[in-house]
Amino acid sequence: MKKAFLTTILCVIAGAFLMVPNQAIAKDPVKIGVIVPLSGIVAQGGEEMKMGIQMAAEEKGTLLGRPIELIVEDTQVKPPVAVSKAEKLVFKDGCKALIGVFSSGVGLAIAKNIDRLNVPFLTTHVMTTKFYGLNPLVFRSGQLANDQTAVGNVKGILATPDLKDRTYYVLVHDYAWGHDAGQRFVDLAKKNGIKIANEDFDKAPIKTKDWSSYISKIKASGADGVYIALITNVIPVFAKQAYDFGIQKYARIVSGAAPGPVELEAGGEACVGIFGASDWCWDVDNPISDKWESDFWKKFKTIPSDAACHSYVGAMNLFNGIEKAGSTDPQEIADALRGISFNGPYGEVRISAKDNCMRNSAVLTETKLAPPNPYDAKIYMKVLHTFPAEELGPPAKWN
Amino acid sequence: MSFTAIAVDIILNSLVLGGVLLIVAIGLNIIYGLSRVMNLAHGSLYALGAYAGFTLVASGLNYFAALLVAPLLIAVVGLIIERVIIVPVRKRSIVYTLILTYGLMFFLDGLIKYFWGNEPRFIELPQFMRQTLPIAGTHYPVFRLVTLLTTAVAMIGLMLFLGKTKLGIILRAASSIPEMVSCMGINMTFVHAGAFALGCVLAGIAGVISGPLYTIDPIMGHEMLISSFVVIVIGGLGSLRGAVLAAFLIGLVQTLAEFFVTDLAMVIVYMMMALILAFMPRGLLGEGRFE
Repeated sequence: MKKAFLTTILCVIAGAFLMVPNQAIAKDPVKIGVIVPLSGIVAQGGEEMKMGIQMAAEEKGTLLGRPIELIVEDTQVKPPVAVSKAEKLVFKDGCKALIGVFSSGVGLAIAKNIDRLNVPFLTTHVMTTKFYGLNPLVFRSGQLANDQTAVGNVKGILATPDLKDRTYYVLVHDYAWGHDAGQRFVDLAKKNGIKIANEDFDKAPIKTKDWSSYISKIKASGADGVYIALITNVIPVFAKQAYDFGIQKYARIVSGAAPGPVELEAGGEACVGIFGASDWCWDVDNPISDKWESDFWKKFKTIPSDAACHSYVGAMNLFNGIEKAGSTDPQEIADALRGISFNGPYGEVRISAKDNCMRNSAVLTETKLAPPNPYDAKIYMKVLHTFPAEELGPPAKWN
Repeated sequence: MSFTAIAVDIILNSLVLGGVLLIVAIGLNIIYGLSRVMNLAHGSLYALGAYAGFTLVASGLNYFAALLVAPLLIAVVGLIIERVIIVPVRKRSIVYTLILTYGLMFFLDGLIKYFWGNEPRFIELPQFMRQTLPIAGTHYPVFRLVTLLTTAVAMIGLMLFLGKTKLGIILRAASSIPEMVSCMGINMTFVHAGAFALGCVLAGIAGVISGPLYTIDPIMGHEMLISSFVVIVIGGLGSLRGAVLAAFLIGLVQTLAEFFVTDLAMVIVYMMMALILAFMPRGLLGEGRFE
């Protein structure tokens, strides 16, 4: 009896010793590196991305039974800065995955270093087509790629009588995304009989503040349509200056990126009449979207934006991927992410197992004066058409 | 669109761009010329002027009233900066003020971000300024023409102040021969403070006119600071007449380059600066200083 009692006590003590480190491990958070622009030209978009990822983390609560810790770093939209921040997040902070990134240039720089970093990197905003099948550890889940956006916009132009028979002047920002977006649009537009005024399209420096010279060129070209691929926060700035010169009186603007709602508010009536394909806007009407909008508004008191929504969806796919992997091993997470899907505010977003990039439906929108709404927004993106995912498609080689 | 209409567009655009560059650069040049301070926070003061104008107009003040009030507010901020940050290191190497004003630039940018956020802002204009005016076959925004007029009034006012008033003459004398001015019993402390305040007034004016012209954001001053340096380098360090010529030359070259060789526009502007530095190191009029 005495022997059995002593054995039991010893077992309990041994068990307690064995349990302590396990519990300590169990309480260690799963660290996720959030790399977003918080300063510079797209700082507002970066803040919204951070909000979306934060919302997903709070909704998810835990990963593998451990709390989620988001460590946020500012890329300053500069590739070298972003790479050094990614190194800090992985090597110093011990992050098990990287998420975010606004610019294609920044995204490609991180992707170039991903084998050395050896963590899965899921971008929510990089739109360049170079991300298709780029690296087994690199994923896109969030915003449509340039080819998908171009398909949406060309289909939208052809389906909208007011846009169809116009000649388009193409103006892009001078970096990887702008070049890719402009070329995709020009190629597809030509194939579909849409007239282009400048096939060798204009590439404006990112820091351009004064668009008057470009507007003079648009006027001189005789074009009655303008296709812009400008960083989302700059769209209202361009629209405002074009409006000042009276361009919108006779021309229509189609955008390769969705303008942010906060910026639309700042631009006011000058931003009315901008068309563009996008994954999501708060006019998308379905129960999941409506609930997400309402939760977002309650939490942040900011107009729900596509930047926040993309980031939320991307983060949910990443978190679900980590849970599906059952570990924080980079290869296992990457394997789990391939083919994963999440049913969110803009329907099912599936990461293709063939190219690591997402497939989802999209909408063609036009900015209009907003009807009464809970966010007190004066301008909104009205949904004109919905395109199913299979219509937007990635390049043929991935299908 | 006819050739004349395109030419009118280009000329007016270049004058507007040159005008804004000129006001910022002259402010920077005056501060440097009179108090030997290379104020790297000048761009942030320009941004602060734009935000002050935005806030005043958003609070219901008339745009033209804001154009008068905002620069005065920036002058007050400038005076505080001059007293608290510049005066303690004035007798030390110029490197001290360079480093301090560089830090101040980030401090002011942070303050702007804290109070006004990251999103771009636009200054609302009176209805008549939102129209376009038909000129020689083109339609040009009225407020851009008003901006040109404002630039001209500001520059004429500055020239009259520096050329015809006693205070202006003292400031000019202090710029060339500070020791002599000091020997005449004029308090150089007031001269330095006055120069700083005058430079800040000009930054404030440029900020308010830039508000409706471009966009207001926390880092709007960074690019403007660099452009202003290009103006004062091409015009000659400390030369006001040179700055006027340089600002309009840059405005014209940049606008023409953006129109005809879009992708190389800024390269051409910086190449022009490099060539002028190489062959005319004292600036276009040869009036610049070597330090």
